[in-house]
Amino acid sequence: MTRAFLGALGALALTATAAMAEYPDKEIQGIIQWGAGGSTDTVMRAITPHVEEVLGGTIVLQNMTGAVGAIALNHVAGAEADGYTLLMGAENPMLYKIMGLGDKDYGEFIPLSILARGTPILVAGPDAPFDDYAGMMEHIRANPGEVRFGSTGPGGLPSVVTAMIDAVEGGLDVIAVPYDGDGPALTALQGGAVDVMPAVLGVAIEGIRAGKIKPLAIFDVAGHDKLPDTPHITEFNAAYETYLPWGPFFGVFAPNGTPDDVVAKLSEAFAAGVQNADFGKLMEDRGFTLMGISGDEARAFLTKWQQGTAWLLQDAGHTKASPEEFGIARPGE
Amino acid sequence: MSVLADVLTVVTQPQLLLLVGLGTFAGVYVGAIPGLSVTMAVSILISFTFSWDVYPAISLMIGIYMGGVYGGSRTAILLNIPGAPSAIATALDGYPMALRGEAGTAIGVTTVMSFIGGFIGIGVLALAAPLVSDFALRFQPRDYMLLAVLGILLVGSLSQGSLLKGIFAGALGIAIGAVGRDPLTFAERFTFDFQILEGGISFIAVMIGMFGVSEALGQLHHVDKDAVRQKISRIVPSLSTVRKHLPLSLQTSSIGVVIGALPGTGGDIAALMAYDHAKRVTKNPERPFGEGAMEGLVAPETANNAAVGGAFIPMMTLGIPGDAVTAIMIGALFIHGLNPGPMLMIDQPDMFWFIVGALVMANCFMLLFGLTGIRLFTRIVEMPRSVLIPMIMLLSIVGAYAVNNSVTDVYWMLGFGVFGYFMRHYGYPLGPVILGVILSRLLDDNWRRAIISEREDLGRFFEGIVTSPLSLVLFVSVILIFVSQTPVWAKAKARVFGRKGEQQ
Repeated sequence: MTRAFLGALGALALTATAAMAEYPDKEIQGIIQWGAGGSTDTVMRAITPHVEEVLGGTIVLQNMTGAVGAIALNHVAGAEADGYTLLMGAENPMLYKIMGLGDKDYGEFIPLSILARGTPILVAGPDAPFDDYAGMMEHIRANPGEVRFGSTGPGGLPSVVTAMIDAVEGGLDVIAVPYDGDGPALTALQGGAVDVMPAVLGVAIEGIRAGKIKPLAIFDVAGHDKLPDTPHITEFNAAYETYLPWGPFFGVFAPNGTPDDVVAKLSEAFAAGVQNADFGKLMEDRGFTLMGISGDEARAFLTKWQQGTAWLLQDAGHTKASPEEFGIARPGE
Repeated sequence: MSVLADVLTVVTQPQLLLLVGLGTFAGVYVGAIPGLSVTMAVSILISFTFSWDVYPAISLMIGIYMGGVYGGSRTAILLNIPGAPSAIATALDGYPMALRGEAGTAIGVTTVMSFIGGFIGIGVLALAAPLVSDFALRFQPRDYMLLAVLGILLVGSLSQGSLLKGIFAGALGIAIGAVGRDPLTFAERFTFDFQILEGGISFIAVMIGMFGVSEALGQLHHVDKDAVRQKISRIVPSLSTVRKHLPLSLQTSSIGVVIGALPGTGGDIAALMAYDHAKRVTKNPERPFGEGAMEGLVAPETANNAAVGGAFIPMMTLGIPGDAVTAIMIGALFIHGLNPGPMLMIDQPDMFWFIVGALVMANCFMLLFGLTGIRLFTRIVEMPRSVLIPMIMLLSIVGAYAVNNSVTDVYWMLGFGVFGYFMRHYGYPLGPVILGVILSRLLDDNWRRAIISEREDLGRFFEGIVTSPLSLVLFVSVILIFVSQTPVWAKAKARVFGRKGEQQ
């Protein structure tokens, strides 16, 4: 009798603490969409300690690779929406549907924070017979089907930038050579296996500083502090303003249905992480622009990004399915 | 003089020295457990060492890297289960030695040879890094492709017995490697619309299953047999043994450094190529290869440790990773506020020399930890099989799960384990399967890159091969090695040597 009573009391005490316990009362799983050592991985591992400090909890990071990040996305989407499983990803999921890679995108998630965005830059090998964007276009027109563009597969940054050039200049007759990522492609650029490469500024910058990579044009509506001497693309052709600014981004997401107070707490913690000076310096060094947006602002950003990119790829003929099928409206419609 | 001071930083600060030692010790044991990989250990360390200074963090990682590459040989020799992909070739002659009760000698030789290989790799890194990285950059997609073809020709070396069965096993490996979404176009291959196959089959899961589980199943046949008693009187190899194998170890170390320095190829391919090289150049081994030839241990172990120094070459000179571990280290340098790239050696030469110093110390620690504790380790093989077999199974499951934290990988691992058991049973060699899986992507991706670059024109492709000296050398080697394995060669050789005989 006494034992039963004590047991009941114990159970009561346990439930009481559970109800009263503040989030987080256990470890949070952070699922990184990409492999160790990549830029998403680096960014997430850099911000996490600052977030943990604000949150007062532990985030255990885990790389879950495969199927261009779709495996990680599906894993988190299927996890319980209690704020203990977070997705740490990049821009790619917004293109899964139209590229036939999956039936889910960030629509299944609440954006806790879009941390930062990158700026694309067009670069060439040091021996390229042209020094800027205008020279490159001239060279391509004079040698149709000869210039090799580095690429990272359909839907990657190079394919979007190439589609942009194609749309603006009305045709681009080049060979796209696919690589596993921008790192290996830039290596190939320095070895002469590809001639031109659209890359993220942060990844190319050290090579540019050393003179091993030649910058042609920054794909933005304004110049960049890190490369004051490099012209931006709208200087050459104002028609690019339709599509720019555009860039890859990094974000942290929780599955839909996560309690509001947990979302608020996590958003706040990540916002504070973005504000951290060490993190800011790291991102600046790599040429990324800090954003730190969440909630409706982040949703609006994601929608706009998806519309612009999806239709650009659709018009360039890179997609498996039309954006229309998934209710992705043409920008401006 | 400042160079010397930078190299010695690690020695003059006891804390750093301790961390390198600790890392190496942990690395040897992490490396010895199949599936617990160095890559994983290092990526966990990044978050862990975030708040540290950069020197201690790098010290610990370098220790783990060096120790881990070596540690894989332990289980390869003792249990016939390579702890890491780079130790696959080590098992071929290491395990037969353990079966003869010479596990102690085998581990001793491996340790000393890993030490020598490690030093050669570090030496090249310190003295000729810019030169080697320039050379590595010159490799075009078609050269990588030819290198992969060269690798596939190793099937002959790795299959004991029937070459036909070896070729079948190698082809199977290539097919396994192709499963999943193709990383270049995202098209699905061999997935049969199963979502589980989209991500491909983890190569580590295949390796653990094929070697670990199938070995455990095979051992079940001899549960009652007494374990081989190990003689451990002489662990450190005599000076004459070392001297005898020095020429070979220099050659295989060079293979290791170059393959390690090439972005996209690492210690696993280096070790297999070195093993093949040893088999070619060793005219009269004391024992045939595959039955416990010393050369079969020397070659892969020098090569995979030399590949460590090699992998740092493109990382330090260009900011390009030489393998998965250096890729993570580049990330770590970023997090610690450095900018790895071509300017690192100019802006911060102290970092370069510090890494060289840390590598040297890690190499010395590896020798120390490698030569001690062997007695304890060899007890593993002397354990009753009823204890050993469940332990192998447990390690295999933990290892397969740990790679991607995925239960699917465990199922793959078990499936390939059973399959591997039957392959063994019917005399199909397992080495070529793993070789095929390793080389599958290297071959496939680079062939497509090469032919796409030439506008899908075979004529232009061959023109490229003939006009580039590097490609030509690789192409001729492929042809020579291929012909040397066919009966035509043997006949031609017999005729030439036969004639010589008559003249005498």
